[in-house]
Amino acid sequence: MDASNEKKISKKTLNKSFNLWFWGALTCFSQEHMQTFGYLASMLPIIKELYPDKDEQQKNIHAYTAFFNTNPMLGSVIIGTTASMEEARANGKGIDGETINDMRAGLMGPIAGIGDSLIDGTLIPILLGLALGMSQNGSPVGAIFYIVVWDLIAYFGQRFLYFRGYKLGDKAVSILIGKQGKAIRHAISIIGGMVVGGVLASWVNVTTSLELKDATGKVFLNLQKQLDSIFPGLLTVVVTLLCWWLMAKKHVSAIWTMIILIGVALLGVLVGFFNPGLKY
Amino acid sequence: MTISWLQAAILGLFACLCSNSCMAGQAVGNYTIGRPLVGGLVCGIILGNVPLGIACGVATQLVYIALVTPGGTVAADVRAISYIGIPLAMVAISSRGLNPFSSDAANMAKSLGTLVGTVGSVLFYAVAFMNLIWQAFGWKDIENNKLNRLYGVDFGWPWLSHLCFSFLPTMLMTHFGAQAVTALRNALPMDGIPMKTLFTVGAMLPCVGIAILLRQIVNTSVDFIPFLVGFTLAASLHLNLVSITIISLLFAMIFYEIEMFGAKSDNGSSASTVSASSSDDDDEEEEDI
Repeated sequence: MDASNEKKISKKTLNKSFNLWFWGALTCFSQEHMQTFGYLASMLPIIKELYPDKDEQQKNIHAYTAFFNTNPMLGSVIIGTTASMEEARANGKGIDGETINDMRAGLMGPIAGIGDSLIDGTLIPILLGLALGMSQNGSPVGAIFYIVVWDLIAYFGQRFLYFRGYKLGDKAVSILIGKQGKAIRHAISIIGGMVVGGVLASWVNVTTSLELKDATGKVFLNLQKQLDSIFPGLLTVVVTLLCWWLMAKKHVSAIWTMIILIGVALLGVLVGFFNPGLKY
Repeated sequence: MTISWLQAAILGLFACLCSNSCMAGQAVGNYTIGRPLVGGLVCGIILGNVPLGIACGVATQLVYIALVTPGGTVAADVRAISYIGIPLAMVAISSRGLNPFSSDAANMAKSLGTLVGTVGSVLFYAVAFMNLIWQAFGWKDIENNKLNRLYGVDFGWPWLSHLCFSFLPTMLMTHFGAQAVTALRNALPMDGIPMKTLFTVGAMLPCVGIAILLRQIVNTSVDFIPFLVGFTLAASLHLNLVSITIISLLFAMIFYEIEMFGAKSDNGSSASTVSASSSDDDDEEEEDI
């Protein structure tokens, strides 16, 4: 290719590869191969540039036919890393398909775990929590805020991770799972926990309508008022912790937890504990 | 309120773009267009009532504030929640004459959205199953060295899966479902047991969503403390979410500094013991500061 005969992936090809991943990681998803075809499509431009020979292309794309599934956002760091490894392989630097595959298979689990808790479990709930506040009373501002902020973070964040992965190779990942990465994740989980608590208190309100009356019809016990004087929103927290306990400790699925809630609600309505006070 | 064929078809198109294996990419499709809050805006524009759409979107979003899909298993399908559930909820709320911003309307939207979303996870598995056909094409293309066709496998053929299991179900269910929802209004009176239960469940469903999230962030029981502090700030002190976020930034900063300090001072000792006991260390060191 150039004077030193060293093959180098052009910036244009890297951009194309990144965009293919950004738009296509999950388009051809199946339970059997999951993101494998998204991965194949995003590596294809790189393979084609590094190996002009058609048979070489076919031989080398086989490194990416193995099962792949991770968190697609943080996962772009893995694509970037394999891009740099593929470049090293094309230059005969002692890397073979097996090495690339081992690296991929070893990273997809940890990256999926970190990505799911950091992005799906923390970042998105924070953004959505803020957006919900802005969309009170039917204003579209919150939804627009979420669309703009999230998509900017997602696009440029993934782009950053991809090119970080390409530049640093497998060193890039140590930033995410190293000590500093762990401290950052812990700090972010504090923000996540507090915001989620705030979301619960601001938006969810489980109340009881139970009242006990004496012979003259005077209310002598209003349970909701009593509970609020102990801790405002106590019932909401109790129901949430019940759901958490069912799912985390008893390994009940989310769907069955919802069905249990229907049972609780029906029972509560029948005995007069719950009454939404509906009328036309 | 009714949903015309044209409106139903546009909803169907958005369903193709946003489902868990989405045609608009994971960040834009699943994580933007698919979120019920954004779905509420889109449905509001399509059905011509943005405030009502947003109100339904906000209510349903609470249930699905943490929609984590570990290992590609879904408990609920965003296309069904956002583009079948929300339109039907909008019809139901307007046909019952509820105030869109009342808690009754919100609970209605939550119940309906969750029901449709849960049943709709069938659509997710159907699309993933049909994609196996295109993937079989893909393996053949690699074997025959027609690598360029892989782009078609990833970006072209899956549209057919979505035509069958996103576009058509959404279009048919929103068009005919709107009439059914209106008919149901007369069948189920608001003060009957079924409707009372439905609305009570609606009020409790977000607890499941929050609990799913807690499962992600709570490893030991002390991890509940930030969550409870956040709850107290809002419930007892009536702070809004931006204020709570700013307060939480301070705590995050303190925790970051403590953890980095611990990592530095323990440099050389094994990393695993540091990480295993870090939560205990934090409590002790906090007192020193």
